[in-house]
Amino acid sequence: MLEIAKKVTRYFASFMLITAINFTLPRLMPGDPVKNLIGEDAYVSEKVTEELRAELGLNMSLSEQFTSYLSSLLHLDLGYSYHLHAPVAEVLLNKMGWTLLFVGISVVIGSFLGVFLGALAGWKPERKASRFTSFAFVVISCIPPYFLALLTLYIFAFKLGLFPSKGFYDTPEIGSVLYHLFLPTCVMSVFSASRNFLVMRGSVIQEKEQLYALYARAKGLHDTGILFRHIVKNASLPIITLLALDFGFLLSGALFIEIVFSLNGMGLLIYDAIMGKDYPLLQGAFLVIAFTALLTNMLADLLYALIDPRARRPA
Amino acid sequence: MSQPACIEGSCMKEACVEGDSENRQEKPGFKGPGEVSFRSFRKHESSLTLFNWIGLLLFAFFLFMTLFPFLLAPYAPNERFIPYEAPSGRHLLGTNDIGNDILSELVFGARISITIGFVAALISTLIGTVLGLCAGYFRGSIEELLMGFTDVVLLIPKIPLIIVLGAFLRPNIWILISVLGLLSWESTARVTRSKVLQLREAGYVKSAQCMGFPSYHIMISDIFPNIIHVLFPKFMLAIASAMISEASLSFLGLGDINMKSWGIMLSFAFFRGGFIRDMWWWYLPPGICITLCVLSIALVGLGLEAKEKECSEEGANTL
Repeated sequence: MLEIAKKVTRYFASFMLITAINFTLPRLMPGDPVKNLIGEDAYVSEKVTEELRAELGLNMSLSEQFTSYLSSLLHLDLGYSYHLHAPVAEVLLNKMGWTLLFVGISVVIGSFLGVFLGALAGWKPERKASRFTSFAFVVISCIPPYFLALLTLYIFAFKLGLFPSKGFYDTPEIGSVLYHLFLPTCVMSVFSASRNFLVMRGSVIQEKEQLYALYARAKGLHDTGILFRHIVKNASLPIITLLALDFGFLLSGALFIEIVFSLNGMGLLIYDAIMGKDYPLLQGAFLVIAFTALLTNMLADLLYALIDPRARRPA
Repeated sequence: MSQPACIEGSCMKEACVEGDSENRQEKPGFKGPGEVSFRSFRKHESSLTLFNWIGLLLFAFFLFMTLFPFLLAPYAPNERFIPYEAPSGRHLLGTNDIGNDILSELVFGARISITIGFVAALISTLIGTVLGLCAGYFRGSIEELLMGFTDVVLLIPKIPLIIVLGAFLRPNIWILISVLGLLSWESTARVTRSKVLQLREAGYVKSAQCMGFPSYHIMISDIFPNIIHVLFPKFMLAIASAMISEASLSFLGLGDINMKSWGIMLSFAFFRGGFIRDMWWWYLPPGICITLCVLSIALVGLGLEAKEKECSEEGANTL
């Protein structure tokens, strides 16, 4: 019970910290808060600036501003993008679906790939193949994701002409979408697998020393049976935590890959927002990403309790 | 090396280290100090594999590049020649859109990229160490508070936050360094805490307490020297991850344009036509340099971490 209370407090504190950051940033940063709230390059006249100041509530006290900010947040109102002339929440919702689809597929493929290869590499770490995969994944995890994307785009799309170089689809059909998403998904999966691989490998190396593995061997079970029926189950538990903690990182990696492949998702949106100094959109994007990350972590905690009975039982 | 992977590694390590410390107290066996050091010495030799040596060599090369760029670069980084030139005898890697020699730019970029990584890692290691030391040594409500805070910060996605911060603040190398440093200390704090938890039960800490030394003195002169070997690999991995983050942020145009790091070179090559014009000599070298440099640092860091792990398994009674 105490553990749960602790967890809940932490999630709540994270939530408050994120909203507080988002609230204070435009008000603390150098320059006029009105400019910071509507975006630098949006042109408005003096009179409109004053009107906006009143409308955004910048002439109220900070505590009043914070409560009104929280209430608008709870109404899913993330502000108005003066560049795109649309509410931020609407714009983000439009693009978020594509990004989540792209990230979702890649993370699933990546985690299976990482778990599978990591388990093999951890089972017999001294083998040549294991050493090679370990080294390969260390190298991949050292490449900035967008550079990897750039290289594959150059080789497979420009040089070999096997895949289209931009966009989600030519015609909105499933075949076209899959064709366009193939390369970015490959890059993203490898990127996500490289992170799971190293953890899985270490976890299997630790786990195979346990007595149950020895017992399985004494029982006469063959190697693949021991590894995939017994060890992988226990060893892949840290992967759940990793995936959750990693979510924000993976998502930001996906943003870069989207920019390189010109996929019209959150990545390009954020890039354009940076270029145009569209602060409301940037803040909204940060808020949405942060909350998604928070949610993923909560899910992972629940999943952990569901899968591992030891986590449910009091120690 | 990416941050959360290290974090996860540290969590696992934390768990096993805590388990270890319980087991250790039950073990009555005691070896002579000379024997232990000899055995662990031999272990160290064998655990540094070929890859780690390659990493060390590469790292030394990049360090040389950082310290003495003028010895390696043929021209000054801002000297201008004919733009968009292909590699030739005069310009080994050609020239870019404003006619700078790319090889010279590359060599001088090392200093900026590595400095950003190094200082950011220094800041994050420092914060992590102080928080971890306090949490592990004082225990009780301080530990709850500090580790709770660490968990809270851990949940915030770093790169999106850095993007928002970077967009509000004018891109500037010091802001980049401090933001990267201030946001990546959590894993160091956790590892430090778990190590300190183990050390605070050691005999010499107890005797120092009995002799009435103040806590800060014990923390600095008794505990800290014994966690350096854990912190150093963490520090190396932090450099690697800060360098990758810097490269990513520069790609988004959030880097300092006056300080041409490798990330900025790569971003210019991508957005200013190097990619469309098929100028591989423009965008490949900075990317390869980032990768190799990060790889060398990560290999050294991982090698040291593996060594440390073996030590802690081996020398249970060096405590």
